[in-house]
Amino acid sequence: MTTELLTFLAMIGVFLLGCFLCKLPVSISMVLSAITGSLVGGKGFALRHLVEGMFAYVDTILVIVTAMIFMKVIQESGTLDAISSVIIERFHKMPALMLCMIMVIIMFPGMITGSSTASVLSAGSIMAPVLMLMGVPILETACILAMGGILGMIAPPTNIPAMIIGAGIDIPYSGFGLPLTLMTFPLAFLFVLMFAYKYVKNMDYEEVRAKLRTQSREKYGFRIYIPLILAIFLMVVNKLVPSIPDIGMPLVFLICAAVGCFTGNKFNVPKMAKESVGAVLPVMGILMGVGMFIQIMTLTGVRGFIVNACLSMPSFARYIAMAVSMPLFGAVSSFGSASVLGVPFLLSFLAKKEIIVAGALSLIASLGDMMPPTALAGIFAAQVVGMPKYTPVLKKCLLPCFIIIVWGILFIVFANQLSFLII
Amino acid sequence: MITIIYRLIVAMVIALVGWNLFTEEKLTGQLNCAMVLIPLILRVLMIK
Amino acid sequence: MKINKRIITACLCLALSIVVCCVTGVNFLAARELPMPVKGPGVTEVKMLSDWFDGLKDTNADTPVYILEGSEPGGKMLILGGTHGNEPSGYMSAFTFIENAVVEKGTVYVIPYTNRSGMTHNDPGEGNMQYFTLQTQSGPRTFRFGSRATNPIDQWPDPDVYVHYASGQRLSGSETRNINRAYPGRADGTFTEKAAYGVAELIRTEDVGLTFDLHEASPEYPVINATVAHQDAMEIASEGCINLLLEGIEMSLEQSPTNFHGLTHRELGDYTDTMAILMETANAAQGRLRGKTSQKQVMGGQDKCYEKGEDLGMLYVPWEVNGITGHPIEERCGRHLQGIYEYSLAYSNANPDKQIVYSGVPGYADLFLNADPQYLGGSWLGSYLK
Repeated sequence: MTTELLTFLAMIGVFLLGCFLCKLPVSISMVLSAITGSLVGGKGFALRHLVEGMFAYVDTILVIVTAMIFMKVIQESGTLDAISSVIIERFHKMPALMLCMIMVIIMFPGMITGSSTASVLSAGSIMAPVLMLMGVPILETACILAMGGILGMIAPPTNIPAMIIGAGIDIPYSGFGLPLTLMTFPLAFLFVLMFAYKYVKNMDYEEVRAKLRTQSREKYGFRIYIPLILAIFLMVVNKLVPSIPDIGMPLVFLICAAVGCFTGNKFNVPKMAKESVGAVLPVMGILMGVGMFIQIMTLTGVRGFIVNACLSMPSFARYIAMAVSMPLFGAVSSFGSASVLGVPFLLSFLAKKEIIVAGALSLIASLGDMMPPTALAGIFAAQVVGMPKYTPVLKKCLLPCFIIIVWGILFIVFANQLSFLII
Repeated sequence: MITIIYRLIVAMVIALVGWNLFTEEKLTGQLNCAMVLIPLILRVLMIK
Repeated sequence: MKINKRIITACLCLALSIVVCCVTGVNFLAARELPMPVKGPGVTEVKMLSDWFDGLKDTNADTPVYILEGSEPGGKMLILGGTHGNEPSGYMSAFTFIENAVVEKGTVYVIPYTNRSGMTHNDPGEGNMQYFTLQTQSGPRTFRFGSRATNPIDQWPDPDVYVHYASGQRLSGSETRNINRAYPGRADGTFTEKAAYGVAELIRTEDVGLTFDLHEASPEYPVINATVAHQDAMEIASEGCINLLLEGIEMSLEQSPTNFHGLTHRELGDYTDTMAILMETANAAQGRLRGKTSQKQVMGGQDKCYEKGEDLGMLYVPWEVNGITGHPIEERCGRHLQGIYEYSLAYSNANPDKQIVYSGVPGYADLFLNADPQYLGGSWLGSYLK
């Protein structure tokens, strides 16, 4: 048995032991697992590496914290109630169209920012009450949010995994628009109809209307929508006019949250901020643990061992290896999966049209956001709809995830024939 | 300028995580907070 | 009582965080002190890049420029080492040049750490070493292993998408700190763009005719053991490349793509009058297939994962050269230094009024072919360092 395999098994063993036997939080289990890997891999107690690894996710946790604060603000101030009631009132006569529209709205922040978390926590939290009011069960609503989040992350114009994979072989991020559109939107519409159409088609509008909370709308009028309009404006403005500097998602969320404190119902701001951070602390901890985990895997050669093992498969099995390993590695991070496995897989398929292949690999890598223990899309979707556990969401999403993998592989297999999409 | 704003954001997150650290009942939860604080402190001080 | 216990454990956890911050903070701060080359016999002056662009003064982007002026006038040449701090053959070749070269005709400018900020930290998630030590003429000397990108301390936060200002090209946000995507740079741009602008200003002010940018790539990357030249430099690059091939050095030559922006071989050629050439060698410590981090991997260029990678047909370089497994630092620096020699010779032939003539720098044969194999992996290169 090689040292790398031994180290890998020790890391996984300690992680499982910590999580399931000792009932430790996932984050602490990952830290213990990383420390074990470092010791077994012959690197001693590599404190500098453990701390350095955490920095891979500092920017991500800032997005998560600020997105959560924004979400709480629009919830407490009454903006969510207002927008839900408007959408249902206007579009209840065309349920299929409305569902597709809702899906696009959920995907929108992800399309703009490249982050599934941003999608689920911002537009997802706005659309969740709409779906539930229309009769979509809580579980299906969470699934729609989760799938909307990950497809939004992959949909153009901003797809960070594709950029990461492209950067690995020095292809600029251009020409991806149409292929990514075809990879994501048909699936998004399919999934939302699959999950929700049967509940919505026979919606009793009168019954739903009675449940709509329109007080905030009536009391504050147009100004209740200002945080949302501002958020959309700030997200889009620098993408349309690149000369305007990008202020970044955390600042966008905070500005809009600050504005939201004055446009609707009053609430205790410090307490709300503290609770928001408290709600995302487990995820922040997991991301820190993941950072350590990846750092130690790379340091001890476990990463190389895994990549080599995946690439050792014969060519037909390589598709299977890709379909399994990329989402699995995404358990630590979908961006990490894109970088660590996406680049070598792209290199191994280099004879095919690389833009299509990179886009399809990013689609498969995005499923990492549905893979425990991180499962950012799944966790936040469950959190937004108020489910205590996120595992039912993951189970329910197995079929859509499988469809995404098959769709992605089809794009890779027929990459050369699809090259006309690159414009 | 943008860096200063982001340092302020990090400082705010440190304060909120610290607040949670002192109200958290479980030791493992407190350890989790303490771990999250490490990179945030090093970044707000612009050490790493 | 319960509250007291909670407060005590919270204080202990906080204290633990602070201790970890202090211990690692000292380490991270120490990494900002960079080892510098010893002035060799040919060094006539050491300036700072801010002497050409004062926007860099008192920043981590201000980097030393070693000037080696010949006794006779001639052409001017610039060598950029340390564009990427995780590509050691780039800056180690620059060190070797500075510590050994004697310029007879013309002037040579050498920047050992082009992105100085990138040398002061390591990439999270990459598990890289911070330092490596070589036995040199004066005893053991420690060198830094840095990062591909500017230190976030100097430029943070990254945008979601990096838009190259001159072309509108879009790349992933972290590339905004990659100096080799920031050229030609701008005076009022980001920290990294300013550093790139400083280099371009040096070239414009001093009328540098020939510029080398020394890089490494992972062995599974297609552009490797390669020279990439701007179209204006293709004539001399072709002549130099033929000579390298005649000397037994496998070298491919590519013309800089016109649709990939921000790189030295594209933008310095377009925005200045210099002939821009970039060279790549094979770095076993850089790719996704690589195994455990060690000095044997970084300096010795040996890695069993890459041996497996070769069996899988994933590599774009042979994993055995002249009976030596892997790509030791001597082979990589040897390629760079021999490349500089041959391309500058071709430049001198094409520009008799702007000749650049130097001696004393070890070439491929000195560093690799004639080396005692047991000393490869750093010691042999160290014997050429002061």
